[in-house]
Amino acid sequence: MARKTGQESAEEKPPVPAEAPAVEASACGHDEACSYVHIFQGWCKGCGICVAFCPKQVLAMGSNQKAYVANPEACIRCYLCARRCPDFAVTVTDKPERIRQEGDE
Amino acid sequence: MAAILPYEYKYLRAKKKFPHVWCPGCGIGIVMGSIIRAVDSLGWNKNDVMLVSGIGCTSRMPVYLDFNTLHTMHGRALAFATGVKLANPELRVIAVMGDGDALAIGGNHIIHAARRNIDITSIIVNNFNYGMTGGQHSPTTPVNAITSTSPHGMIEPDFDTCALLSAAGASFVARATVYHVVEMDGLIRQALEKKGFSVVEALSPCPTNFGRANRLGDAVKMMEGLRDNSVTAVKASGMTPEELAGKIVRGVLSEREAPEYTELYRGLCARVQGARAEVAP
Repeated sequence: MARKTGQESAEEKPPVPAEAPAVEASACGHDEACSYVHIFQGWCKGCGICVAFCPKQVLAMGSNQKAYVANPEACIRCYLCARRCPDFAVTVTDKPERIRQEGDE
Repeated sequence: MAAILPYEYKYLRAKKKFPHVWCPGCGIGIVMGSIIRAVDSLGWNKNDVMLVSGIGCTSRMPVYLDFNTLHTMHGRALAFATGVKLANPELRVIAVMGDGDALAIGGNHIIHAARRNIDITSIIVNNFNYGMTGGQHSPTTPVNAITSTSPHGMIEPDFDTCALLSAAGASFVARATVYHVVEMDGLIRQALEKKGFSVVEALSPCPTNFGRANRLGDAVKMMEGLRDNSVTAVKASGMTPEELAGKIVRGVLSEREAPEYTELYRGLCARVQGARAEVAP
Protein backbone atom coordinates (compact mmCIF):
# COMPACT_ATOMS: atom_id res chain seq x y z
CA MET A 1 0.00 0.00 0.00
CA ALA A 2 2.78 2.38 0.90
CA ARG A 3 4.55 1.70 -2.37
CA LYS A 4 1.41 2.23 -4.38
CA THR A 5 0.46 5.48 -2.74
CA GLY A 6 4.02 6.67 -3.00
CA GLN A 7 3.83 6.29 -6.74
CA GLU A 8 0.62 8.27 -6.82
CA SER A 9 2.28 11.09 -4.99
CA ALA A 10 5.16 11.01 -7.46
CA GLU A 11 2.75 11.96 -10.22
CA GLU A 12 1.39 14.92 -8.31
CA LYS A 13 4.66 16.27 -7.05
CA PRO A 14 6.25 19.10 -8.95
CA PRO A 15 9.06 17.66 -11.05
CA VAL A 16 12.65 18.17 -10.06
CA PRO A 17 13.59 21.69 -11.18
CA ALA A 18 15.20 21.84 -14.59
CA GLU A 19 18.16 23.77 -13.27
CA ALA A 20 19.31 20.69 -11.33
CA PRO A 21 22.56 19.97 -13.17
CA ALA A 22 22.97 16.49 -14.58
CA VAL A 23 26.33 15.93 -12.96
CA GLU A 24 27.29 12.39 -12.01
CA ALA A 25 27.81 13.47 -8.40
CA SER A 26 25.33 10.99 -6.97
CA ALA A 27 23.09 8.20 -8.21
CA CYS A 28 20.12 10.52 -8.59
CA GLY A 29 21.99 13.04 -10.71
CA HIS A 30 22.03 15.86 -8.19
CA ASP A 31 25.24 17.50 -7.10
CA GLU A 32 24.00 18.14 -3.57
CA ALA A 33 23.13 15.92 -0.63
CA CYS A 34 20.10 13.82 -1.58
CA SER A 35 17.68 11.84 0.49
CA TYR A 36 14.51 9.77 0.33
CA VAL A 37 13.28 11.18 3.63
CA HIS A 38 12.57 14.85 4.26
CA ILE A 39 11.56 16.79 7.36
CA PHE A 40 9.39 19.89 7.02
CA GLN A 41 10.80 21.72 10.02
CA GLY A 42 8.06 24.33 10.05
CA TRP A 43 5.62 21.69 11.27
CA CYS A 44 8.01 19.56 13.39
CA LYS A 45 7.36 19.85 17.13
CA GLY A 46 10.35 17.78 18.20
CA CYS A 47 8.54 14.89 19.90
CA GLY A 48 11.31 12.50 18.83
CA ILE A 49 9.05 9.65 17.71
CA CYS A 50 10.57 9.44 14.21
CA VAL A 51 14.11 9.52 15.64
CA ALA A 52 13.41 6.84 18.26
CA PHE A 53 11.64 4.35 16.02
CA CYS A 54 13.66 4.63 12.80
CA PRO A 55 15.10 1.12 12.32
CA LYS A 56 18.21 2.48 10.58
CA GLN A 57 18.93 5.63 12.62
CA VAL A 58 18.51 7.86 9.58
CA LEU A 59 17.08 10.73 11.62
CA ALA A 60 18.49 12.65 14.57
CA MET A 61 17.36 15.42 16.85
CA GLY A 62 18.97 18.80 16.16
CA SER A 63 20.01 21.43 18.67
CA ASN A 64 16.87 23.40 17.82
CA GLN A 65 14.73 20.47 19.11
CA LYS A 66 13.61 19.53 15.61
CA ALA A 67 14.41 16.34 13.74
CA TYR A 68 16.76 16.40 10.77
CA VAL A 69 18.08 13.86 8.26
CA ALA A 70 21.47 12.84 9.64
CA ASN A 71 22.22 9.69 7.68
CA PRO A 72 20.30 9.74 4.38
CA GLU A 73 22.16 6.82 2.77
CA ALA A 74 20.87 4.36 5.36
CA CYS A 75 17.17 4.92 4.55
CA ILE A 76 15.38 1.73 3.48
CA ARG A 77 12.07 3.52 2.80
CA CYS A 78 9.97 1.62 5.32
CA TYR A 79 7.78 4.75 5.62
CA LEU A 80 7.44 4.25 9.39
CA CYS A 81 8.70 7.76 10.20
CA ALA A 82 6.16 9.33 7.85
CA ARG A 83 3.32 7.19 9.20
CA ARG A 84 4.20 7.75 12.85
CA CYS A 85 4.80 11.48 12.58
CA PRO A 86 1.84 13.11 14.39
CA ASP A 87 2.55 16.45 12.73
CA PHE A 88 2.72 15.39 9.04
CA ALA A 89 6.24 16.81 8.95
CA VAL A 90 8.03 13.76 7.50
CA THR A 91 7.87 12.83 3.82
CA VAL A 92 9.39 9.81 2.12
CA THR A 93 9.80 10.15 -1.64
CA ASP A 94 10.10 7.52 -4.34
CA LYS A 95 13.29 8.98 -5.77
CA PRO A 96 16.09 10.72 -3.89
CA GLU A 97 15.49 14.46 -3.85
CA ARG A 98 17.77 17.27 -2.84
CA ILE A 99 17.57 18.04 0.86
CA ARG A 100 15.69 21.32 1.14
CA GLN A 101 16.88 24.02 3.45
CA GLU A 102 15.12 25.65 6.37
CA GLY A 103 12.67 28.33 5.30
CA ASP A 104 11.40 26.59 2.17
CA GLU A 105 7.64 26.73 1.92
CA MET B 1 10.95 26.35 -3.93
CA ALA B 2 8.09 24.11 -2.95
CA ALA B 3 8.62 21.65 -0.14
CA ILE B 4 8.29 17.97 -0.94
CA LEU B 5 4.82 16.95 0.19
CA PRO B 6 3.39 13.50 0.95
CA TYR B 7 0.08 12.50 -0.61
CA GLU B 8 -1.69 13.12 2.71
CA TYR B 9 -1.40 16.85 2.10
CA LYS B 10 -4.21 16.92 -0.43
CA TYR B 11 -6.56 15.87 2.39
CA LEU B 12 -5.32 18.54 4.80
CA ARG B 13 -6.35 22.15 5.19
CA ALA B 14 -2.64 22.76 5.17
CA LYS B 15 -2.49 26.41 4.19
CA LYS B 16 -4.89 27.66 6.87
CA LYS B 17 -4.60 25.55 9.97
CA PHE B 18 -1.16 23.99 10.31
CA PRO B 19 0.87 23.31 12.42
CA HIS B 20 -1.99 21.80 14.38
CA VAL B 21 -2.95 22.39 18.01
CA TRP B 22 -2.05 18.99 19.46
CA CYS B 23 0.87 18.71 21.89
CA PRO B 24 4.26 17.32 20.79
CA GLY B 25 4.01 13.53 20.82
CA CYS B 26 0.21 13.36 20.93
CA GLY B 27 -1.01 10.36 18.97
CA ILE B 28 -4.13 11.99 17.53
CA GLY B 29 -2.15 13.21 14.52
CA ILE B 30 -1.08 9.61 13.83
CA VAL B 31 -4.72 8.46 13.92
CA MET B 32 -5.60 11.31 11.55
CA GLY B 33 -2.91 10.12 9.15
CA SER B 34 -4.31 6.58 9.37
CA ILE B 35 -7.81 7.80 8.49
CA ILE B 36 -6.40 9.66 5.48
CA ARG B 37 -4.46 6.63 4.27
CA ALA B 38 -7.47 4.34 4.75
CA VAL B 39 -9.77 6.66 2.77
CA ASP B 40 -7.09 7.13 0.12
CA SER B 41 -6.46 3.40 -0.26
CA LEU B 42 -10.20 2.82 -0.78
CA GLY B 43 -10.14 5.41 -3.56
CA TRP B 44 -13.05 7.39 -2.13
CA ASN B 45 -13.67 10.93 -3.30
CA LYS B 46 -13.10 13.25 -0.37
CA ASN B 47 -16.41 14.99 -1.11
CA ASP B 48 -18.26 11.72 -0.38
CA VAL B 49 -16.81 11.47 3.11
CA MET B 50 -18.47 13.12 6.10
CA LEU B 51 -16.41 13.57 9.24
CA VAL B 52 -18.36 14.37 12.41
CA SER B 53 -16.93 15.16 15.82
CA GLY B 54 -17.92 16.54 19.20
CA ILE B 55 -15.68 18.50 21.56
CA GLY B 56 -12.23 17.62 22.82
CA CYS B 57 -8.69 17.13 21.60
CA THR B 58 -9.66 14.40 19.13
CA SER B 59 -12.66 16.38 18.00
CA ARG B 60 -10.36 19.07 16.62
CA MET B 61 -9.70 16.65 13.75
CA PRO B 62 -12.39 17.98 11.35
CA VAL B 63 -10.73 21.39 11.56
CA TYR B 64 -7.69 19.99 9.77
CA LEU B 65 -9.21 17.55 7.31
CA ASP B 66 -10.63 18.61 3.97
CA PHE B 67 -13.65 16.29 3.93
CA ASN B 68 -17.23 17.43 4.56
CA THR B 69 -16.96 18.18 8.25
CA LEU B 70 -19.25 18.81 11.18
CA HIS B 71 -17.92 19.99 14.54
CA THR B 72 -20.75 19.64 17.03
CA MET B 73 -21.58 19.63 20.74
CA HIS B 74 -19.77 17.63 23.38
CA GLY B 75 -20.71 13.96 23.16
CA ARG B 76 -23.25 14.47 20.39
CA ALA B 77 -21.11 13.46 17.42
CA LEU B 78 -23.07 10.25 16.88
CA ALA B 79 -26.43 12.00 17.22
CA PHE B 80 -25.47 14.36 14.39
CA ALA B 81 -23.83 11.55 12.41
CA THR B 82 -27.04 9.50 12.63
CA GLY B 83 -28.98 12.46 11.24
CA VAL B 84 -26.53 12.95 8.40
CA LYS B 85 -26.59 9.26 7.50
CA LEU B 86 -30.39 9.07 7.50
CA ALA B 87 -30.70 12.24 5.42
CA ASN B 88 -28.14 11.14 2.85
CA PRO B 89 -27.25 7.43 3.03
CA GLU B 90 -24.81 7.86 0.13
CA LEU B 91 -22.33 9.71 2.37
CA ARG B 92 -19.60 7.73 4.09
CA VAL B 93 -19.99 8.95 7.65
CA ILE B 94 -17.06 8.80 10.06
CA ALA B 95 -17.45 9.94 13.67
CA VAL B 96 -14.23 10.77 15.52
CA MET B 97 -14.47 10.99 19.28
CA GLY B 98 -12.26 10.98 22.30
CA ASP B 99 -12.81 8.58 25.17
CA GLY B 100 -14.67 11.09 27.32
CA ASP B 101 -16.65 12.36 24.35
CA ALA B 102 -17.71 8.87 23.27
CA LEU B 103 -18.16 7.03 26.56
CA ALA B 104 -18.99 9.59 29.24
CA ILE B 105 -20.97 12.47 27.77
CA GLY B 106 -21.92 10.55 24.66
CA GLY B 107 -22.21 7.15 26.31
CA ASN B 108 -25.91 6.85 25.68
CA HIS B 109 -25.59 7.84 22.03
CA ILE B 110 -22.88 5.31 21.32
CA ILE B 111 -24.64 2.28 22.81
CA HIS B 112 -27.82 3.10 20.92
CA ALA B 113 -26.00 3.77 17.66
CA ALA B 114 -24.39 0.35 18.11
CA ARG B 115 -27.75 -1.24 18.93
CA ARG B 116 -29.34 0.24 15.78
CA ASN B 117 -26.34 -0.89 13.73
CA ILE B 118 -26.40 2.25 11.60
CA ASP B 119 -23.67 2.43 8.96
CA ILE B 120 -21.27 4.82 10.72
CA THR B 121 -17.58 4.27 11.35
CA SER B 122 -16.62 5.45 14.84
CA ILE B 123 -13.00 6.13 15.63
CA ILE B 124 -12.54 6.44 19.40
CA VAL B 125 -9.15 7.85 20.29
CA ASN B 126 -8.48 6.71 23.85
CA ASN B 127 -5.83 8.67 25.72
CA PHE B 128 -7.15 7.67 29.17
CA ASN B 129 -8.12 11.17 30.34
CA TYR B 130 -9.66 14.50 29.33
CA GLY B 131 -6.58 16.08 27.79
CA MET B 132 -7.96 19.41 26.61
CA THR B 133 -9.33 20.56 29.96
CA GLY B 134 -6.34 19.64 32.10
CA GLY B 135 -6.22 15.89 32.56
CA GLN B 136 -9.37 14.96 34.50
CA HIS B 137 -10.24 11.28 34.83
CA SER B 138 -12.48 9.72 32.20
CA PRO B 139 -14.39 6.41 31.99
CA THR B 140 -11.30 4.74 30.54
CA THR B 141 -8.76 5.90 33.14
CA PRO B 142 -7.16 2.73 34.55
CA VAL B 143 -7.55 1.87 38.24
CA ASN B 144 -4.91 3.56 40.45
CA ALA B 145 -3.90 6.05 37.73
CA ILE B 146 -3.22 9.61 38.88
CA THR B 147 -5.13 12.40 37.18
CA SER B 148 -5.96 15.95 38.25
CA THR B 149 -9.35 14.81 39.60
CA SER B 150 -8.00 11.57 41.11
CA PRO B 151 -4.78 12.81 42.76
CA HIS B 152 -4.59 9.80 45.10
CA GLY B 153 -5.32 7.23 42.42
CA MET B 154 -8.41 6.32 40.47
CA ILE B 155 -10.72 4.02 42.46
CA GLU B 156 -13.39 3.42 39.80
CA PRO B 157 -12.93 0.52 37.40
CA ASP B 158 -12.60 1.49 33.74
CA PHE B 159 -14.72 0.65 30.72
CA ASP B 160 -13.60 -2.04 28.30
CA THR B 161 -14.74 -0.03 25.28
CA CYS B 162 -14.57 -2.86 22.79
CA ALA B 163 -16.45 -5.36 24.99
CA LEU B 164 -19.11 -2.74 25.73
CA LEU B 165 -19.77 -1.91 22.08
CA SER B 166 -19.55 -5.50 20.95
CA ALA B 167 -22.23 -6.38 23.52
CA ALA B 168 -24.31 -3.39 22.43
CA GLY B 169 -24.48 -4.81 18.90
CA ALA B 170 -21.78 -3.17 16.78
CA SER B 171 -20.94 -5.01 13.54
CA PHE B 172 -17.19 -4.53 13.71
CA VAL B 173 -15.09 -3.82 16.79
CA ALA B 174 -11.32 -3.50 16.70
CA ARG B 175 -8.59 -2.03 18.86
CA ALA B 176 -5.40 -0.46 17.56
CA THR B 177 -2.51 1.48 19.03
CA VAL B 178 -0.71 4.38 17.45
CA TYR B 179 2.59 2.50 17.78
CA HIS B 180 1.31 -0.27 15.45
CA VAL B 181 0.47 2.23 12.78
CA VAL B 182 0.45 -0.09 9.76
CA GLU B 183 -1.96 -2.39 11.59
CA MET B 184 -4.11 0.63 12.48
CA ASP B 185 -4.26 1.68 8.79
CA GLY B 186 -5.61 -1.77 7.94
CA LEU B 187 -8.12 -1.87 10.81
CA ILE B 188 -9.54 1.55 9.96
CA ARG B 189 -9.80 0.49 6.33
CA GLN B 190 -11.70 -2.67 7.33
CA ALA B 191 -13.97 -0.60 9.57
CA LEU B 192 -14.71 1.84 6.74
CA GLU B 193 -15.54 -1.00 4.37
CA LYS B 194 -17.84 -2.76 6.85
CA LYS B 195 -21.56 -2.21 6.41
CA GLY B 196 -23.06 -1.41 9.79
CA PHE B 197 -21.80 0.25 12.95
CA SER B 198 -18.04 -0.23 13.16
CA VAL B 199 -15.74 0.90 15.94
CA VAL B 200 -11.97 1.26 16.11
CA GLU B 201 -10.57 2.14 19.51
CA ALA B 202 -7.16 3.72 18.94
CA LEU B 203 -4.97 3.91 22.03
CA SER B 204 -2.89 7.04 22.02
CA PRO B 205 -0.38 8.61 24.41
CA CYS B 206 -1.15 11.89 26.19
CA PRO B 207 2.36 12.88 27.30
CA THR B 208 1.35 16.34 28.50
CA ASN B 209 -1.32 15.36 31.03
CA PHE B 210 -1.66 11.62 31.62
CA GLY B 211 2.00 10.80 31.01
CA ARG B 212 3.29 13.58 33.23
CA ALA B 213 0.89 12.85 36.09
CA ASN B 214 1.73 9.15 36.10
CA ARG B 215 5.47 9.58 35.42
CA LEU B 216 5.27 7.56 32.23
CA GLY B 217 7.99 9.59 30.53
CA ASP B 218 7.88 11.41 27.23
CA ALA B 219 6.01 10.49 24.07
CA VAL B 220 8.67 7.96 23.00
CA LYS B 221 8.49 6.15 26.36
CA MET B 222 4.69 6.05 26.16
CA MET B 223 4.84 4.65 22.62
CA GLU B 224 7.25 1.98 23.87
CA GLY B 225 4.74 1.20 26.62
CA LEU B 226 2.06 0.61 24.00
CA ARG B 227 4.46 -1.64 22.12
CA ASP B 228 5.53 -3.69 25.14
CA ASN B 229 2.13 -4.06 26.81
CA SER B 230 0.04 -5.13 23.83
CA VAL B 231 -0.59 -8.49 22.20
CA THR B 232 -2.50 -9.35 19.05
CA ALA B 233 -5.95 -10.92 19.32
CA VAL B 234 -4.63 -14.10 17.70
CA LYS B 235 -1.87 -14.47 20.26
CA ALA B 236 -4.18 -13.53 23.14
CA SER B 237 -6.58 -16.35 22.28
CA GLY B 238 -3.89 -18.82 23.33
CA MET B 239 -2.96 -17.06 26.58
CA THR B 240 -4.29 -17.66 30.10
CA PRO B 241 -6.14 -14.86 31.96
CA GLU B 242 -3.12 -14.52 34.28
CA GLU B 243 -0.80 -13.91 31.34
CA LEU B 244 -3.27 -11.44 29.84
CA ALA B 245 -3.54 -9.32 33.02
CA GLY B 246 -2.44 -5.78 32.22
CA LYS B 247 -2.07 -6.49 28.52
CA ILE B 248 -3.80 -4.58 25.73
CA VAL B 249 -5.40 -6.92 23.19
CA ARG B 250 -5.33 -5.36 19.73
CA GLY B 251 -6.74 -6.43 16.38
CA VAL B 252 -10.27 -7.34 15.26
CA LEU B 253 -12.15 -8.30 18.43
CA SER B 254 -15.61 -8.98 17.05
CA GLU B 255 -17.25 -8.99 13.66
CA ARG B 256 -20.79 -9.97 12.71
CA GLU B 257 -23.36 -9.54 9.97
CA ALA B 258 -26.58 -7.80 10.98
CA PRO B 259 -29.29 -5.76 9.18
CA GLU B 260 -28.26 -2.16 8.69
CA TYR B 261 -30.51 0.61 10.00
CA THR B 262 -30.75 2.99 7.01
CA GLU B 263 -31.63 0.09 4.72
CA LEU B 264 -34.32 -1.09 7.14
CA TYR B 265 -35.65 2.45 7.36
CA ARG B 266 -35.81 2.89 3.57
CA GLY B 267 -37.50 -0.50 3.32
CA LEU B 268 -40.06 0.51 5.91
CA CYS B 269 -40.78 3.79 4.06
CA ALA B 270 -41.26 1.95 0.76
CA ARG B 271 -43.54 -0.63 2.39
CA VAL B 272 -45.73 1.94 4.14
CA GLN B 273 -45.96 4.16 1.06
CA GLY B 274 -46.88 1.14 -1.06
CA ALA B 275 -49.66 0.19 1.38
CA ARG B 276 -50.98 3.75 1.32
CA ALA B 277 -50.98 3.80 -2.47
CA GLU B 278 -53.12 0.64 -2.47
CA VAL B 279 -55.64 2.13 -0.03
CA ALA B 280 -55.87 5.47 -1.84
CA PRO B 281 -58.31 5.55 -4.80
